[in-house]
Amino acid sequence: MKCMSTPLVKVVDLKKYFPVKGIFFTKGYVKAVDGVNFEIYKGKTLGLVGESGCGKTTVGKLVLRLLKPTSGKALFEGKDIFKLRGKELKEFRKKAQMVFQDPYSSLNPRMTIFDTIYEPIKIYKIKVSDPEKFVVELLYRVGLNESHLYRYPHEFSGGQRQRIAIARILALNPEFIVLDEPTSALDVSVQAQILNLLKDLQKKMDLTYLFISHDLGVVRYMSDYIAVMYLGQIVEYGPAEEVFEKPLHPYTKALFSAIPIPDPEITRKREKLRVPGEPPSPINPPSGCRFHPRCPFRQEICNREEPEFIEYEKGHYVKCHLYSRK
Amino acid sequence: MSEIYEKKLLDKFSDALIEGFAKFLDKVRPGWYKKNKARVDEWKLMAYALNRSPPGLIGLALVIVFIVLAIVGPYIAPFNYDTPLTAFDRDAYLAPPGTVITIPNTTAAKFLGVRSGNYTLLLGSDDYGRDLFSRILYGARTSLIVAIMVMLVGPWIGILIGLVAGYYGGKIDEILMRFTDIFLAFPGLILAIAFSAVLPPRIQYFLNANPAVRQFFLSLFSLKVQHAGSMAYLVSVIIALWIVWWPGYARLVRGLVLSARENLYVEAARALGVPTRWILLRHITPNIIGPILVYLTLDFGGVILTEAGLSFLGVGAVPPIADWGRIINDGSQYFPNSWWLVFYPGLMILLTVLGFNLIGDTLRDILDPKTRRSIEFKLKKKKQKGEKNEV
Repeated sequence: MKCMSTPLVKVVDLKKYFPVKGIFFTKGYVKAVDGVNFEIYKGKTLGLVGESGCGKTTVGKLVLRLLKPTSGKALFEGKDIFKLRGKELKEFRKKAQMVFQDPYSSLNPRMTIFDTIYEPIKIYKIKVSDPEKFVVELLYRVGLNESHLYRYPHEFSGGQRQRIAIARILALNPEFIVLDEPTSALDVSVQAQILNLLKDLQKKMDLTYLFISHDLGVVRYMSDYIAVMYLGQIVEYGPAEEVFEKPLHPYTKALFSAIPIPDPEITRKREKLRVPGEPPSPINPPSGCRFHPRCPFRQEICNREEPEFIEYEKGHYVKCHLYSRK
Repeated sequence: MSEIYEKKLLDKFSDALIEGFAKFLDKVRPGWYKKNKARVDEWKLMAYALNRSPPGLIGLALVIVFIVLAIVGPYIAPFNYDTPLTAFDRDAYLAPPGTVITIPNTTAAKFLGVRSGNYTLLLGSDDYGRDLFSRILYGARTSLIVAIMVMLVGPWIGILIGLVAGYYGGKIDEILMRFTDIFLAFPGLILAIAFSAVLPPRIQYFLNANPAVRQFFLSLFSLKVQHAGSMAYLVSVIIALWIVWWPGYARLVRGLVLSARENLYVEAARALGVPTRWILLRHITPNIIGPILVYLTLDFGGVILTEAGLSFLGVGAVPPIADWGRIINDGSQYFPNSWWLVFYPGLMILLTVLGFNLIGDTLRDILDPKTRRSIEFKLKKKKQKGEKNEV
């Protein structure tokens, strides 16, 4: 973790509470993100995994300043993005982009592909001598061609639409892209194509990704680092291979043991770590360690004290009492 | 896309019309046709669906007839709207439809700009001996101009307020919508009556101070200079309707924006850094324009009806201006003996409003892609069935 360079994106104790409104006053808060820290280095991918409702997407939106945080900081190139104003904010918006989960609704149905892709260029007043040629070049880069130029989104398949969404943000030469489950709405065969396209682009353009997904196989394929989220907090963080080979947190272990392996022999023999129950409500999270009501290795201390986020091995962090006594 | 359907003569005509329009646009802006081919196809499909809807075609015909009458009416009318024919022929007093009158060759006739000869009063005349047919033609102009003037401003105030309130939400929404509620709390017609009763003197003053504006309105309404004072009442009706016509639109548009802004493409645009103004104009408005257009069309008839209603109540057009509501009001004291004074203007109001309502209803079906698809689907099935029967 302690590289020589400074991280491109650094998130410090980020919190986002959504108020739950009663008739007259606020009844409580959904603690969607509750104290998240991570760093992403230039050209690397951080995979953010967790089950639905754990706050992954909220983190993604926060680091792009699509939401205002309750507290905490998100630094981009060393500057707090929530304090940016005017020109600097515009510059940030240009450099940091997002690919959305559902390509069926992330494209305006009333705009042709040309208009969709050319829109950001118009907004940022980038000088282009031949708009049509420029857009066609972008289309080629994502594996489409000029025959698609003046069509509407409903004429395309999901995979093609996701390519269009990617072409649109490539027009701006971004540095940092949040990929919010970019493949979960697509067929498996198309998923691989999109993932390879994203990897390709990362290599060519030195892009930095925050890859949000619940599909662990995909995350393993894409990521350099992995952060595991549970109920608004990161419970484990480390280099991808290490986390996959040697998961520390019980939740991570349970999560990884649920990855389907396409071999019935192995599946039958494999030891599975089962986690009973459902994730508790983020409005009123459990005391102490948030995972303790479901944890198979629960101890007495777990419901009293919140474990600290400690570096168990070099670069491998975990938030669990099992490792803190060592 | 539309090639799968069998094309009748009407479809070929509408296709040619759309094609011609597209070619024209292509000439104005080179490269337009290539970029908008999908859109032109969409238009053709809409025309195809319209051609299959008898109510829509009837509505379209009625509206076109109304607009043509309103434009050319004052030029083809045999008499002016205020020519008292009783001065020439006693028979012209409350003459029933079909009465023949004779106009002698006198200086008075020349002075009033009437050529001598025999005239048939197609729809009869009123108590001043004014030709009802001519007055109805002039009345069409009055209705059209008032409706257009109201629709050019009134709804857009509401649309703007609705867009802003819906998109920003929060306190801005709260303030704007409560303001709208205040206006909605008054009965529209009463408010309009109040305004059109208070405004005319100021407008008269304004028109006298600005001869250019006065001339512009006079030529729009096709009125004589000496009636500029009466015209102020029409202008005040227009302004009164601006004031009462927008709250409905503010409500409608706010609701539409509230649902449209939840779309992912709006959030995607925000993530790209698209400015708010641009999001409202390029992303939200085009996606909610359908219902607004339908509402506007339906309302066009509504404005004509309200304006006629105001005139009927005596707060709109004043004599001698030709206005359908006014003609009914003036004629009502001779009803039912001189029934034509009430019947024909009433029929005109009915047909015009019906036309706008029919076309608005059809537009709703055509502009909504879901219902349009179902129309197309039905037609396709019908055609397939027909083919089977032939085999």
